[in-house]
Amino acid sequence: MLALGRANFALCCRLLVFQCALWHSDGADGSTAVEIYRQHCARCHGGSGEGVKDYYESRLYGDEDVDALTRRIAETMPEDDPDACVGDDARAVAQYIYDEFYSYEARLAKGLAAPPRVELSRMTIAQFRNSVADLIGAFTAPPPDGRPPGFARLPTKRISSDGTVEAAGLLGAYYQSEKMSKLDQLVLMRIDSRLDFDFGAGSPDGEIASDAFAIVWQGSIQTRSTGYYDFRIVSPNGVRLYLNTGAAQSRGKLRDDDSATIRARLIDGWVSSGESRALRGRVFLIGGRRYPIRVEFFKYQETSSAIRLEWKPPHEVWSVVDADSLSSAPASRTFIVDTPFPADDRSLGYERGSAVSKEWHTAVANAALATAEEVTRRLPQLANVAPDDPDRRAKLADFVTRFAARAYRRPLTDDERRLLGQTLFADTTDETAVRRAVLLVLTSPHFLYTDLSPAETTPTGYSIAARLAFSLWDSLPDQALLLAAEREQLTTREQIEQQAKRMMRDPRARLKVQGFFQHWLELEQRDVSKDRGLYPEFDEAIIADLRRSLELFVDRVVWSKASDYRQLLQADYLLLNDRLKTLYGPKQHLVSAGSSSSSTFEPVNNSKETRSGILTHPYLLSAFAYHDNTSPIHRGVFLTRNIVGRQLKPPPIAVAFQDNAFADDLTMREKVTELTSDQACLSCHEVINPLGFALENFDAVGRWRTQENNKAIDARSDYTSAEGETLTITGPSDIAEFALSSPIAQRAFVKVLVHHFAKQEPAAYSPDLLEELRTSFVQDEFHIRKLITQIAARTAAHPSNASGEPSP
Amino acid sequence: MTLPIRDRRHFLRDLGLGAATLPFVGGLSSLHGANREDDNAPQRLIVFFSPNGTLPAEFWPQQLGDEHELVLGSMLEPLKPFRDQILMLKGVHNRVGGDGDHHMRGMSCLLTATELHPGNIQGGGHTPAGWASGISIDQEIKNFYQAQPEHRTRFGSLEFGVAVPNRADPWTRMCYAGSNKPVAPIDNPAQMFEKIYGDGKAKQQLASVLDLVHDDLRKITRKLSPEDLTLVEQHMQQVQQLERDIAAAAQQQELSHPEPEIDPEIEIVNDNTPEISRMQIDLLISALANDMARVVSLQFMRSVGQARMRWLEVEEGHHALSHEPGQNADAMEKLKRINHWFAGELAYLAGRLAEIPEPGGLGGTMLDHTQIVWVNELGEGRTHTLNNIPLLLLGGGAKFKTGRALDLGGVPHNRLWLSLANALGHRELTTFGNQQLCAGGPLQLA
Repeated sequence: MLALGRANFALCCRLLVFQCALWHSDGADGSTAVEIYRQHCARCHGGSGEGVKDYYESRLYGDEDVDALTRRIAETMPEDDPDACVGDDARAVAQYIYDEFYSYEARLAKGLAAPPRVELSRMTIAQFRNSVADLIGAFTAPPPDGRPPGFARLPTKRISSDGTVEAAGLLGAYYQSEKMSKLDQLVLMRIDSRLDFDFGAGSPDGEIASDAFAIVWQGSIQTRSTGYYDFRIVSPNGVRLYLNTGAAQSRGKLRDDDSATIRARLIDGWVSSGESRALRGRVFLIGGRRYPIRVEFFKYQETSSAIRLEWKPPHEVWSVVDADSLSSAPASRTFIVDTPFPADDRSLGYERGSAVSKEWHTAVANAALATAEEVTRRLPQLANVAPDDPDRRAKLADFVTRFAARAYRRPLTDDERRLLGQTLFADTTDETAVRRAVLLVLTSPHFLYTDLSPAETTPTGYSIAARLAFSLWDSLPDQALLLAAEREQLTTREQIEQQAKRMMRDPRARLKVQGFFQHWLELEQRDVSKDRGLYPEFDEAIIADLRRSLELFVDRVVWSKASDYRQLLQADYLLLNDRLKTLYGPKQHLVSAGSSSSSTFEPVNNSKETRSGILTHPYLLSAFAYHDNTSPIHRGVFLTRNIVGRQLKPPPIAVAFQDNAFADDLTMREKVTELTSDQACLSCHEVINPLGFALENFDAVGRWRTQENNKAIDARSDYTSAEGETLTITGPSDIAEFALSSPIAQRAFVKVLVHHFAKQEPAAYSPDLLEELRTSFVQDEFHIRKLITQIAARTAAHPSNASGEPSP
Repeated sequence: MTLPIRDRRHFLRDLGLGAATLPFVGGLSSLHGANREDDNAPQRLIVFFSPNGTLPAEFWPQQLGDEHELVLGSMLEPLKPFRDQILMLKGVHNRVGGDGDHHMRGMSCLLTATELHPGNIQGGGHTPAGWASGISIDQEIKNFYQAQPEHRTRFGSLEFGVAVPNRADPWTRMCYAGSNKPVAPIDNPAQMFEKIYGDGKAKQQLASVLDLVHDDLRKITRKLSPEDLTLVEQHMQQVQQLERDIAAAAQQQELSHPEPEIDPEIEIVNDNTPEISRMQIDLLISALANDMARVVSLQFMRSVGQARMRWLEVEEGHHALSHEPGQNADAMEKLKRINHWFAGELAYLAGRLAEIPEPGGLGGTMLDHTQIVWVNELGEGRTHTLNNIPLLLLGGGAKFKTGRALDLGGVPHNRLWLSLANALGHRELTTFGNQQLCAGGPLQLA
C-alpha cells in the first residue's frame, strides 16, 4: 500500500519544474552558493569536494539528483548543525556541488571521470572455461546411442530439448553372472530413477539367482552449478563409477581377468570383502551441462548386496542422486579445465577481465597445457584421422587450422593458416606440431580477448556472433552463429535479435542467467548458519534446501512464459519441499517424520503471512541477518542497493552492532534506531532503516512472526524515495510495489543486467541505452528474458548506424 | 624454435651418466662383488617381477650348494656378466594359504606373505578372495627408511609397471601399503616422468610458442586505443616473464644425473612393450641416481598376463603358453624365449647400475649398494605351484654372499623377506606377514 497517490506524484513533478527556475539563484539571505559551501561544507569536503583528512576523506560524488542532494543537505548537513543549511540555502549549495564536482557530467568536464567507452577485456574465468569446453566439444562426435535393443519398449517420461526420447533415471541392465563372466546373461532391463537398493541376501529379480549377478547402469547426469562435485558409492559389493569419460567401448563381456585397457574411473571398488564401505571421488564440473555416467556393480557370493549412489554438488548436502538429475540419454565427454584461476576483478560490481596478472597468465598457460594433453590423447577422434592414415599430416594440419578458426571465431588470415598448417609442422612429429598449435591457439590474444574489433567501426558479422555468444553464453559462437556470420545474416537488428532469441533457449543461457541471480542476490559463499541453541532445526540440510528453493523460484519465474519481474518481487508463495514445510509451511502442512522425499518442491501459500517474492525468501532473510537475530540494517542495505536501486557510500564511522549493549527488553527495531541515531549515520540510515524494518515480521531464519520480546512487531515507517516522494511502508509488498513503479529502481535492475551480460558500462554504448532498455522493459510487461535478449542484441550491434541496421 | 626430428626408434638418449666422459670409478670391481664395507653408503631395493612362473629346468642351475660354482643356463644367458653378484635361492615356498586361487595368492601374497581377505573376486578355481590383509615387504622397508632422516628421500618408493592392465584386482597388485591398500604401479613412462621431473618438457613446448604469442600481441597493439593498450602491455610483460621463468626453472632443475629423454607420445600398447620397458628402467635408474627413492619395484604385466610378445615372434598369449605341457617343445621354446627376454631386461637394469659410480664418492658402483630381487608369482606355470619361487637376487645391497645358488629345502618366503629387511638395515623386524610362517627367523645368507 503506497501512501502516495498518482495525483500527488504529478504535483510533485510540477513543483520540480517550477523550482528549476530557482536552482541557479543564490541562497535565502543573498549569500552565494559558493559562500555557503565555503562556510558550511569545505572544512570536511575540501574546496572542490576532494575531501579532508580526518574528516570526510573520500571525494564527494555520486548519482543522486539535485533534489535528493538538497533534501540530504537540509536534513543532515552540516553534521554538527543540520539546521544551519536548509531551504533555499540547501538547494543552492546542492546545485553548486552538483554542477561543480558531484555529477558525472561535472566530473567528466573536470577530467575526474573517464568518458564511458567499451573497454577491451580478456575472457573471465567462466568465459575461458566454457570456451575451452565448447571448443573441444565442437570437434567431439555426438554420443553413440549405446542403448540396448530392448530400450524402445521401456516407459519413457520426457522428451529432451534436442528431441530425443529419454527417461528420468539411468538405464539399468541386470545380468546373471557365471563365475568370472559378470555379464553372462542379460535378464532384465529397466529405468532406475535412483540408485538406492538393498537387495539383502536376495536378488533384484525373481529371474536372477542371488549368489552372483551384475548390473550396469548408464546414461547421463545433469549439473546445476559449476564447481567440485563429490560422489560417493556405498556398497558391500564390487562397484565402479565412470564419470565424464569418453564413449564406452562396447565390450560384450565384463570379466575380472579381462586385460582390455579401459577408461579412468572416478571410483574403483571392484574388489570387496563383503563389508559395506563408502568409496569417494571428486571431480570438477561446469554447471548446466550433461555428462556421461556409467556404474558397474556385481555381487559374487557375498552374504548381502546393496548400492547407493550419492553426490554432493556445490552448495548442497549429500543426497542420493535422483531422477531430476539423471537421464537415460547418452552424453559425450566434455573437457573441463580445472586449473585454479585467480578471481576476476569485481571492483565495479561485476566480473570482468580487466587485468593480466602473473597468476592469471600462469593459469592460462597451465590450462593450455592440459588442453594440449587432451587433444593429443583424443587426436584420432577429434581430428577424425586414423594413426595409420597415409594423409595423416595433411589432415592434422587441416584440423589445427579449423581448431584455430573456431577458437578465434572467424576465418583465419593467410599468415595464420600458413603458420599453423605449415610452419609448426616443419621439422617435428605430428603430435608435437598439434600440441604446439593448441598451446599457441589457447594463449593467443585472438582467443583470449573477447572482442578485438576496432572501436567506432561497424562490427563484422563474426564480431557480432562472438559478442552474442560471450554475452548470452559466456562462450564461443556455435556453428549456427558462425554460419549466419558467414552468410551475412547478422546484419539487421531483426536478424540479430532472432539469433539472440534462439540462443536464450540454450542451457548455457540458463547458466548465465543463474549466474546473474547468484551475483545480484549475493548468494556466493554466504555463511547462513545460525545459533544452534536458538534455531535447532536450521541445519545444513535446511540451508541447502532453502538455497535450492530460491534457485527454483527464480528459474520458475524467469523461464515461465511471462518471465515477469513483478512475479519475482511479488509472488505470494514459497517453493517448499517436505523438509522445508516443517519449518516454513502452514501448520496443516506439517509432514509426518520419516518422509524422505526432499526433491519435490511445490508452491505453498500461507494466508497468515505476507510473502513478497525474493524480498521475503527465507534464504535471503536468513543470509541478511545475524546468527542469533534479525538485522534490519543488512536487509535494508540489500533492499536499498539491489531492489530500489540507490547508491550508498561506506559508513563514515564504523559502528559494530553489539546486542548486549542494549537493554534486554528492547526490540531489534528499537536497538537499531538507537544505534543509528547519530546525524552522521542518518544520511544513509534514514533510507536503509525503513526498508529493513519493513521485514521485521520475519525472524533470523525467515519465519513469520508477529511479536518480539513480547512486543508486537512494528514494520511501518515513512520512507522518502530518491524521487522525493514520502510514502508509508508497512511491509515487503509496499517495497515491491514501489520498486516496480520507480524508474530509478527499474533502471538499476537493467544496469546490473547489462553489467552481467555485456560486461561493460551501458553508457559506453550510448547515453540513452539504459533508458531505452528500461522503457521497453516496462512496455514488455517486465519480461526479463526479452530484456536480456535486447541487451545482448543491442550491445552486439554497437556501433550501428542511425537506422539501426549496421552496414555490412 | 624448431625441435629436432625425433626418430621413434631412437628416443632413448644415453642416460645422463655421461658414461663416456665420467671416470669409470669402481666399475670393474662391481662385477666382482662389493670391494669394501661402508656403513654410510645408502642401501637400495629393487623388486623385479615377471609373471606366469618359470621353466624350472632352465632356470635352476644343475648343481646347487655353497660348494659349487654358479653356472647359469642358456635361458639366463644375459645375466652371465653379473654371475658373481648373483644369489639364486631354490626351496623358498609361498606357504600362505586361505582364500584365492594360486595366481591370486601367488601375486598378492608374494610380497605381503600374508593371507588375502575373503572377497568377491573369483579366480580359475578355489574360493573367491579380496585384497591382501597386510603390508608388502617393499613398503615395509620404505616406511622404515622414510622414518629415518638420513635415509629419507622425496618419494621413498616408486612403483613402476610395464604393460600392467588398467585394472585393480589381486592379479594386478603386488605392492600393498597395508591391509586392503593396494598400491598401483604406474605403467606410462610419460606419467612417471611427470611425477618425477614435473612438467618441464611440456613447459618447454609452451616456451617454444610464446614468441609467436608475443608477436600477435604486438600486432594488435597497433589497432588499440591508448586506454586499452595498458592491458595488452601487461599481457606482453607476462608472456616475457613466463619465458624467463621457464628458462630459469630448466636451469635450476639441473640434476646430478639428467633425466632420460622420454617419448611423450609413445602409445601404451602391447607392441611397444620393449621400448616402454627400457624407458621405465631408464627412469628408474635416474630416480635412484638422483636419490629420489631407495625402494622401487618394476612389475612386468601381471599374474595371468596374456602379453603377446610379437617382438620375440611369439604370437600366443603368455599365460596360455605357460599352461602347455612339457612335451610341447614349441611352447617350451617360446617360454624360454620369453624368460630370456625378462632376464635381458634385468641385465639391462643391472648393467646401468654397474655403470654408475656410487654418488657421493662412497666407492663402488650403484649396483654394489642395490639389492635386486627377481620374483615371480608361481614356481612353474604349468603346475601353478607356489613352491620354489624362482628367486634370483642380484647386487650388493643386502651384502649377501653371492656367486652361488642354494637349495633351502622348502622354507616359507616370510623368512626370506625377514632376512632381506634385516640386511637392508631394518633390524628390528622379527616377524613379517603371517607370524606362524616366520618360525626359525631370518635365513642366514650373508
